[in-house]
Amino acid sequence: MNLSDLRDKARRIRAGVLRIAAMSDCHTGGSLSIADLLAALYFHWLRVDPHNPGWEGRDYFVLSKGHCVPALDAALALRGFFPEELLTTHLELDSILSGHACARLTPGIDASTGSLGHGLPLGVGIALGVKMDAAPNRVVVMLGDGELQEGSNWEAAMAASHHKLGQLVAIVDRNKYQTGRTEEMMALEPLADKWRAFGWAVRDVDGHDLGEIVAALDALPFGPGRPSCLIADTVKGKGVSFLETHHMYRLNADSLVAALAELGEGA
Amino acid sequence: MAKGFGDVILELSEQDPRVCGVSCDCWGFLQPLAQRFPERAIEIGIAEQNLIGIGAGLAVRGKIPFVIGMNPFVTMRCFEQIRTDLGYGARNVKVVGGYGYGLMYAGWGCTHHAMEEAALMRLIPGMTVVMPADGFETEQTMRAIAAIDGPAYFANQGGNLLPDQPEEQREFTLGKAVRLREGGAATVLSTGPIAAEALRAADELAAAGKPVRVLHVHTLKPLDAEAVLSAARETPLLVTLEEHTVIGGLGGAVAEVLAEHGCGVPLRRLGVQDVFAVMSGSHADVKRRHGISAEAVVAAVNGER
Repeated sequence: MNLSDLRDKARRIRAGVLRIAAMSDCHTGGSLSIADLLAALYFHWLRVDPHNPGWEGRDYFVLSKGHCVPALDAALALRGFFPEELLTTHLELDSILSGHACARLTPGIDASTGSLGHGLPLGVGIALGVKMDAAPNRVVVMLGDGELQEGSNWEAAMAASHHKLGQLVAIVDRNKYQTGRTEEMMALEPLADKWRAFGWAVRDVDGHDLGEIVAALDALPFGPGRPSCLIADTVKGKGVSFLETHHMYRLNADSLVAALAELGEGA
Repeated sequence: MAKGFGDVILELSEQDPRVCGVSCDCWGFLQPLAQRFPERAIEIGIAEQNLIGIGAGLAVRGKIPFVIGMNPFVTMRCFEQIRTDLGYGARNVKVVGGYGYGLMYAGWGCTHHAMEEAALMRLIPGMTVVMPADGFETEQTMRAIAAIDGPAYFANQGGNLLPDQPEEQREFTLGKAVRLREGGAATVLSTGPIAAEALRAADELAAAGKPVRVLHVHTLKPLDAEAVLSAARETPLLVTLEEHTVIGGLGGAVAEVLAEHGCGVPLRRLGVQDVFAVMSGSHADVKRRHGISAEAVVAAVNGER
């Protein structure tokens, strides 16, 4: 898929998030910041089969920042895992879409997350299982930056390099906000050095430049026999000016139209 | 002679290529497995949260991991991971309290007491919880939980509860309590190795003309409610004995069944009475101090408080 098509996928993922935000409470900020990354993953890099979500040959994707599932749901619907019209059933009783990533409900989701700091240990376990099978599956864990304050991430980071999990990739959505500014609340910098110190091969990328993202994904793994970390510089709420830096935002009919218009979409 | 944990996990691994072991600084337990299938024995260091997450990830990949740590730490430090990654996730992971059940590390202080292990694990929907009495029950437990699809916890044990009885005559069915003595004066219910004290009390009471039923409840979840209700119908007093807080473990579980069914039979719960246990002394000293002993059972059956 060429870059122009990938940009269109990212735009449609964002539109899906906005439609969800007009129906229910929604973590818009972190969902919009990962839209370009998800477009590149689901339409360029991940080997998945929407008709057989449990396919043994699949690449695994773990959304550790599980509250940003609206973007993942939008990407999965767009990729064909379930009909797009189901997106607006988010949070409804007996919907297949929960407010946090739920493997028991949603086709294409491998790990139930929502409590932060759980995804990377899960990803390490999946990668160890794949290594046991000497299989080529790749494992991607997407982490929030504020989430890295949870110590369990660093237990897992240590184990991943110790066990030489070259098929494991951590993507950090470095949008620099949690409920406030991350560097003010609990500083993470120098973040790349921290990952390097734990034995990972690290690259930085502009998380909204699909050309850069695709080039970085195609360069994986970044070091032989080592887990790879991609730190994506992103903007919380990217794509809609009045949603930037907001953690959650409930849209009404008017603000939905205005937000979609900024994306170049009709309501 | 019952096999130990290391030999049973090796046997299970030979039978099923999905079985593997993950150690949280308990590498000795995985030695036989590591020698036979090095790729299926994984050490992850002192990191309980990571242990459970890795177990869940292995299960996502279709493996059947036994993840092993020290009882107090592998049930408390990573409780949320067990509850969320294994319970909510419905993952086929077997959590093993490898050593340090109950008050075993008595004099090492309360950091090393696992007097909440069964209560915590019992809280989690879908979790199977087993407190074997000895090596035989541990071996049977491992085979039984390997055969079910879902998360389980058990506290590893060695030793032999019934040295006079050949193992092939013993019964073990997951979820089914075992009647070890018959008698009508009371029913003494036990879980874990403290069953030995229940038997000692029963023998003493029988010699004094007050024979009691001993019902050994190795599986705390799912609980054998029918066996509890039979005891309530057929004997005038129930006494629970456990090396655990009386809240939420065997005593709590039995109380729930009795109350829900309006049994009205008196219940005495012997165990740690909502306090932290004493911090120094031998294992026997600490159990005795907290009334977790044959003497305490005899006193309870005799109506002493």
